[in-house]
Amino acid sequence: MNNLASSHLNEQVDRPESVLGKLSFGQTSDKIPGSLAIWFAILAEMSEFAIMFIVYFLAKVHNPELFYEGPTKLSTTAGTTNTLIMLTSSFFVVRAVMAIRDNKPKQSATWLWGAVACGIFYLIIKVFEYQWNTAQGLDTETNIFYGVYYYVTFNHFLHVGWGSAGLVWVIYRINTGIYTSNEHEGLINMAVYWHMIDLAWITIFPLLYVIR
Amino acid sequence: MKQLTRINSLWLLLIILTLFSAYMAERGTPGFYSVVIMAVVLAAKGRIIVDHFMELKDAHIVLRTLMRVYFYVIPALIIIVYLFPEQIAKWTVL
Repeated sequence: MNNLASSHLNEQVDRPESVLGKLSFGQTSDKIPGSLAIWFAILAEMSEFAIMFIVYFLAKVHNPELFYEGPTKLSTTAGTTNTLIMLTSSFFVVRAVMAIRDNKPKQSATWLWGAVACGIFYLIIKVFEYQWNTAQGLDTETNIFYGVYYYVTFNHFLHVGWGSAGLVWVIYRINTGIYTSNEHEGLINMAVYWHMIDLAWITIFPLLYVIR
Repeated sequence: MKQLTRINSLWLLLIILTLFSAYMAERGTPGFYSVVIMAVVLAAKGRIIVDHFMELKDAHIVLRTLMRVYFYVIPALIIIVYLFPEQIAKWTVL
């Protein structure tokens, strides 16, 4: 199995020296999955979510009782289901990348449609979860736990929404023959961005639904 | 085929870890050990996605380190906040 087959995201092409290359310290690899630009976006997004998590931690230490009781009134089923959906969508995206590398664009598009379906399913569950919360009298004004919950989860909701739209755009590019087994950097960019959305959710899930 | 088996297995592992978290949320007794377990589960899930789904395991060290550190820091904060809430609250009063 050669290097190309053993890696589904890393482009095996000669790259010009990158900004990161100049910053390197004893690295053994210059490989960057996708473009450098998407990684600036991903690191910016991860920083944004990190700030939200810090706000969560600070609010928690100042309101321990509210943060102890808060998760018990949320739907663990909805949170768990959405976690399973996000992880599965990421898996589908990985399979889509593997398929395009195998020169199977139709199969790649099918896997991506699976990821889009997951994204839509996630959004629908989230809407039902918000409605269920409202029926229980839980909204942004209830207390600071639910204020943080709505701010963080709605922010993530938006990411899943535009991420799903991005996946549809990538499918269109595959179907029009723009992405091939040799050139599909746009697909890789979308793949790593989608995984970032998944990473944000797997962090949100224990913080808001599990840990008391 | 080897890569396919690895990716399939990792997805299954992520699903099992998530179901375990859900079980802890519903049936587990809140306390130090459950917090540590949840933090470790988060660290493991993050590392799997960063290394294998994003394929950063063999990528540039700066990107790899930044993304990996994220899933050391957040789990560590979960444990620190559980252990020292009053001290942190004192330090963060305006």
